[in-house]
Amino acid sequence: MTTQTVETPKSTGRVGGGLLDPQQMVRSLPDALKKLNPVTLWRNPVMLIVEIGAVFTTVLAVLEPSFFAWAIVVWLWLTVVFANLAEAVAEGRGKAQAATLRKAKTDTVARRRSGETVPATQLQQGDVVVVEAGEIIPGDGDVIEGIASVDESAITGESAPVIRESGGDRSAVTGGTKVLSDRIVVQITQKPGESFIDRMIALVEGANRQKTPNEIALNILLAALTIIFLVATITMQPMAIWAKGQNPGIPDSLALTGDGVSGIVLVSLLVCLIPTTIGALLSAIGIAGMDRLVQRNVLAMSGRAVEAAGDVSTLLLDKTGTITLGNRQASEFVPVAGVTEQDLAEAAQLSSLADETPEGRSIVVFAKERYGLRERDVHNAAWVPFTAQTRMSGVDMAPDPGVSGSVGREVRKGAATAVMKWVRDGGGHPTDEVGHIVDGISASGGTPLVVAEKGRVLGVIHLKDVVKSGMRERFDEMRRMGIRTVMITGDNPLTAKAIADEAGVDDFLAEATPEDKLALIKKEQEGGRLVAMTGDGTNDAPALAQSDVGVAMNTGTSAAKEAGNMVDLDSNPTKLIEIVEIGKQLLITRGALTTFSIANDIAKYFAIIPAMFAAVYPGLDTLNIMRLASPQSAILSAVIFNAIIIVALIPLALRGVRYRPSSASKLLSRNLYVYGLGGIVAPFIGIKIIDLLIQFLPGMS
Amino acid sequence: MGWIFIASLVLALVITHKPLGDYMYRVYTSVKHNVVERFIYRLLGVQADSEMRWAVYARSLLAFSVISLLVLYGLQRLQDKLFLSLGFDPVPDHIAWNTAVSFVTNTNWQAYSGESTMGHLVQMSGLAVQNFVSAAVGMAVAITLVRGFARRGTDTLGNFWVDLVRGTIRILLPIAFVGALVLVAGGLVQNFIGPHEIAGLTGPTNMTGGPVASQEVIKELGTNGGGFYNTNSAHPFENATGWTNWFEIFLILLIPFALPRTFGKMVGQIRQGYAILAVMGVIALFSVTLTNVFELAGDATVPQAIGAALEGKDVRFGVANSATFGAATTLTSTGAVDSFHDSYTPFGGMMTLFNMMLGEVAPGGVGAGLYGMLILAVITVFVAGLMVGRTPEYLGKKIGAREIKLASMYFLVTPILVLVGTALAMGNEAGLAAMLNSGPHGFSEILYAFTSASNNNGSAFGGVTVNTPWYDVALGLCMLFGRFLPIVFVLALAGSLAKQTPVPETAGTLPTHRPQFVGMVVGVTIILVALTFLPALALGPLAEGLLS
Amino acid sequence: MERLPSWIRQHLAAVRAVIVLTLVTGAIYPLLVTGVAQAVFNHKANGSMTDKGSELIGQKFTDADGNPVKKYFQSRPSAAGDGYDMLSTAASNLGPEDVLDVLPDPNGADDAAKEGKQSLLTQVCARSKAIGELEGVSGARPFCAPDGVGAVLKVFPAIGTPTRAVSVNQACPAQPFVAEFQGVKVECGKPGEDYAAGRTVPVRGNVTDVKVPADAVTASGSGLDPHISVAYAQLQAARVAKERGKPVEAVRKLIADNTTGRALGFMGEPGVNVLMLNLALDKE
Repeated sequence: MTTQTVETPKSTGRVGGGLLDPQQMVRSLPDALKKLNPVTLWRNPVMLIVEIGAVFTTVLAVLEPSFFAWAIVVWLWLTVVFANLAEAVAEGRGKAQAATLRKAKTDTVARRRSGETVPATQLQQGDVVVVEAGEIIPGDGDVIEGIASVDESAITGESAPVIRESGGDRSAVTGGTKVLSDRIVVQITQKPGESFIDRMIALVEGANRQKTPNEIALNILLAALTIIFLVATITMQPMAIWAKGQNPGIPDSLALTGDGVSGIVLVSLLVCLIPTTIGALLSAIGIAGMDRLVQRNVLAMSGRAVEAAGDVSTLLLDKTGTITLGNRQASEFVPVAGVTEQDLAEAAQLSSLADETPEGRSIVVFAKERYGLRERDVHNAAWVPFTAQTRMSGVDMAPDPGVSGSVGREVRKGAATAVMKWVRDGGGHPTDEVGHIVDGISASGGTPLVVAEKGRVLGVIHLKDVVKSGMRERFDEMRRMGIRTVMITGDNPLTAKAIADEAGVDDFLAEATPEDKLALIKKEQEGGRLVAMTGDGTNDAPALAQSDVGVAMNTGTSAAKEAGNMVDLDSNPTKLIEIVEIGKQLLITRGALTTFSIANDIAKYFAIIPAMFAAVYPGLDTLNIMRLASPQSAILSAVIFNAIIIVALIPLALRGVRYRPSSASKLLSRNLYVYGLGGIVAPFIGIKIIDLLIQFLPGMS
Repeated sequence: MGWIFIASLVLALVITHKPLGDYMYRVYTSVKHNVVERFIYRLLGVQADSEMRWAVYARSLLAFSVISLLVLYGLQRLQDKLFLSLGFDPVPDHIAWNTAVSFVTNTNWQAYSGESTMGHLVQMSGLAVQNFVSAAVGMAVAITLVRGFARRGTDTLGNFWVDLVRGTIRILLPIAFVGALVLVAGGLVQNFIGPHEIAGLTGPTNMTGGPVASQEVIKELGTNGGGFYNTNSAHPFENATGWTNWFEIFLILLIPFALPRTFGKMVGQIRQGYAILAVMGVIALFSVTLTNVFELAGDATVPQAIGAALEGKDVRFGVANSATFGAATTLTSTGAVDSFHDSYTPFGGMMTLFNMMLGEVAPGGVGAGLYGMLILAVITVFVAGLMVGRTPEYLGKKIGAREIKLASMYFLVTPILVLVGTALAMGNEAGLAAMLNSGPHGFSEILYAFTSASNNNGSAFGGVTVNTPWYDVALGLCMLFGRFLPIVFVLALAGSLAKQTPVPETAGTLPTHRPQFVGMVVGVTIILVALTFLPALALGPLAEGLLS
Repeated sequence: MERLPSWIRQHLAAVRAVIVLTLVTGAIYPLLVTGVAQAVFNHKANGSMTDKGSELIGQKFTDADGNPVKKYFQSRPSAAGDGYDMLSTAASNLGPEDVLDVLPDPNGADDAAKEGKQSLLTQVCARSKAIGELEGVSGARPFCAPDGVGAVLKVFPAIGTPTRAVSVNQACPAQPFVAEFQGVKVECGKPGEDYAAGRTVPVRGNVTDVKVPADAVTASGSGLDPHISVAYAQLQAARVAKERGKPVEAVRKLIADNTTGRALGFMGEPGVNVLMLNLALDKE
């Protein structure tokens, strides 16, 4: 089995992320400023509170200006701007993509069969249009007549044209793509303004982004924390006033007077305590998650689907194309009695030299590697290409005039029935032996190709499914993540089991009909499992619709694309695994930054509480474990840290935290150390450093 | 000796939690009703086998509590017209309201002085009855939440009347009966003697009795805490010797530390119960140890002058055992005291305050501790679950928006009541008038009062004068909301969980039975509470303790 | 009844449940416990009575003027009513930093001001001094001025170099317990003057050998503490022996006889039951 070159699946999905262009931050700045509008900001209650606080402190600073007050004001505003910036940068990346897509959506004109032309935008569902070579397809639909090669680079980025034809699973066409040859008749399936491209643009731009279930839940938790800290800071005021009153000998300080904690300090404390870090980055994380999918040429129809991908516990994988290479490869030459393997190999190779199909290439390579037969240049040969009528291919060689005694030769390979007929037509009498060999290969799940020359059968090529390399490791990984993999195949159970064992999947469904698939999904879901699958055919549609994550191949039918909740523009079923990882990464990023955000509060308390109250109760200076220079610099340092940490974490929010497939327990340990412990320690260091820098500013002592 | 005292308690609980936990599991899952229960259900006119949805369960529970409230209020207001009043006047209206709320909510905050306000009938047939049933209500709610985790695809959660009656008849009464006799053997009184004068050695002295042992036992067992007498478990007739002191702490911790096992058995994974038990145990041990350390160190001016933190402590208990009692009672929402927290060292007193601020979860009140802890586990699971890349789930149930909303609202109730209540008191003449001590300690008294009431603990930094209308009303409202709002949220959560089909456990599921998770729940609990209350603590015990 | 809507039926069930459970847990149960307790533990269930009061309840052994009866061992201070009153049990509830007295001000606006208020520290110091005098030992303690009040200064200004220091618990014309504080002369406290603006500085002093035990100077939690520490009993032994004309050894033996050890060796603390000790003394 070392003879085959096997395509490696794309770099095993260590989900990395897009790079962050620093210039993007600058470019997004205007958008970030626009988002200061409270009307847009109210969707993010945490940041809205910061903005209200910023307005309030601005008023206070105007009424009673001091360097400290203005410094706080500036940094509070920056906090809001930084939060908006995170969102704007995330959206900005989508916008660039959307711009490209819009180019494809130039005003096209549709031509009905009657010849009447209408603007594409006015096409209704069910309209029938004609598209000829060089024209843009005006809307999504199915080819109902004709066959054509279509350039879909506008949406897939893939420049090689694809074939679209009526009937079957390759009938779907997408508006905005270009017909290169021939003429097709298309029945429009989209509603006006809801074309695939329209939806894509909306998706990548993040317009009408719906909050996903986990995001909603997290928002509730953040709101609850915000309320708690709001109550904690507001109720502190009468306590502080009383404490001050108890100590009439203590002069008023900047933080605390007889009227209580000053408004600026109170707002600073509140802003430092409420979960601004995660509040600022939450929507950016969501947008970036979708964006990471888009970068992999996967379009998720909803954020909900991306999240569900993280929860998937059962993956249904089509055998062909996902687990095995879609193309079968030669694995054995079985000669009939009286023919040597060498002869058979030579004939098989000869018949395939001009065969550029993957199967053909695999025969040539296999013969070379196993039998030492080099590829030859063959002159005066007439290649007989494969056609649907003949169902075989081969070569006709004229006798070589330059070589004495050379005789002409005709070699064919192909489906058993076709080749046998050709042999009989040529006067041969194939024995039963051929039939047995053919049946045997079929029974084991292989594909038999009979090789014959004029008048006699030489033997059979055993074409076999080959499991992609690295799949076993991949499935082991899945198992560690707690995901069960089920291989779906039309093969008989025996073959299916052989391949399942080889690939290392947990289970398989053999001789699967669409109904079986649907039943399997329902069964898994009844057990509380979430199921992901890929599909492309119309008959996959019910299963795609039933599954929690249904990834339709872009090459598939519109029915399939309609039923699934994601579309893979590369039509690469292996990507399902990556999609799951991206889904998990999205959730992990949220959880990690939430933990980080809350853990940060500890240090901020240690900065601000002594700053506020050490004047009244000098013992509380013991809590100033960072030994910050002065109350003013302590408070300002905490506020600055709180703002800067948002910017510092934007790249992480966009990229997502590093994700390595492993068990939940290990993942949690790692993230707890990095974001929990790190979240406690980092601000102590950060605030201290900022304090060291700003203590020399005026008004800081 | 103090450490052996603690170790022996731990050992005793290790021995008892298993049989008791298993017994309670059988009580709440058995389908059979015994003769007495069948008779009671007939008297009640309820269908014992009909299951309730959460809203019906909640309505029954609230109806029962409202009626209890009215009856208890009535008993106090009419005590002079009934028998065994000992000649006491009707209880003033604001105190009667406060006391009725206090006992119905399992708080047992006492705005009155037992020996001079309440006749034997009110004590025995009013207050003590609520000691039983409010504890049974707490257990019923906890069991209902556990059913929410254990059941699948259903909207029913059991029958409130059955849970109430079984908890009372099968669990509390038998233990109380035996425990009462043990306490009598230790010297607690059980009679119907009223106040009278007797001859003392150097002159006449006052004497009074009462059915104390029967009430004392359920006061501890049901984590109620309302003393028969004003000085509560410090009073020799409520707590006669060093070993009754041990036994009372044991009774306080008995059920709260056995319930996690019941929970584990009900959800079919005993180890999950032990994880919860471990969280409770770690926090409790930590707190008991610190309280002991702070009290024994006696770090404050007056204890230094005295030579030990002995003010407000009785000789037969000593400093260490008193500190252990103080920690146990505040960790469990019991509110009984055998020594006076107001006179504790600043940090010792802060520990009792902090214990309550934890939300009474380690191990918490009977039932209330378990459901409070499960709520914290849910919040922890949510954050931790996200960090492993899945929609968070606990015991197979997904923690989605509805679940986190209910858990958050649960979590919000007590801090808001505590902080808003304290702030109102600090900004209000009637509130400030109550302080006995001045400076940060005076503030601690008021913070303690609202923390105790809102968390349904009931113990007091005794100095604060709370039998004023303002405090009776304010603290009554805190107790009422602090008890029943969380209960409604818990029941709603149970309803929403029971509907779900559990997600099967895989390698990708966050394991919630390992030390890792235990540590995380402990961390989340302590950090959330610390963050919420640090400003207030800074102005109270921290300011006092860090004076020098 | 069956025709009532279900939501009313539920409330009826609630009413009945309260009644039925009251009967069970509020009548049958306590009466049953009382029955058994009276039958089996009759002495204890009725309060462990002696003919001079309960052995569990502490008493004050003072004369009509409130002065200690010297032939009796004295109990701890008590905050219950006028001391050891079972009908108004209480603890002092004073905090660990309660160190500032309100000096009695004859010109005070109200009774409270006229009476003044002793801080816990001053109470402790005063008790220590009195007991020291009674037992003929030194009553000195840390943080206590020699005249039996808390040694506490108020220093002005609250922050920065002191310009003025007042010994606030020592009413003029008392001699302040220290002459100088950080170079500033210490004044005595003037009743009625507001010292709130100053910084509170308790002064530990240099007392290391404290003769009067801790329980002797503190009020118990119950206000009825029947016990004193063995140390406090030993301190009183000489005085009682002298008053009664008995050998000290005999008294010490009675102390030992009336000492309750720790239950099982680790529960609680050893204590001497004062009433039982005094009764035993009287009996001899």
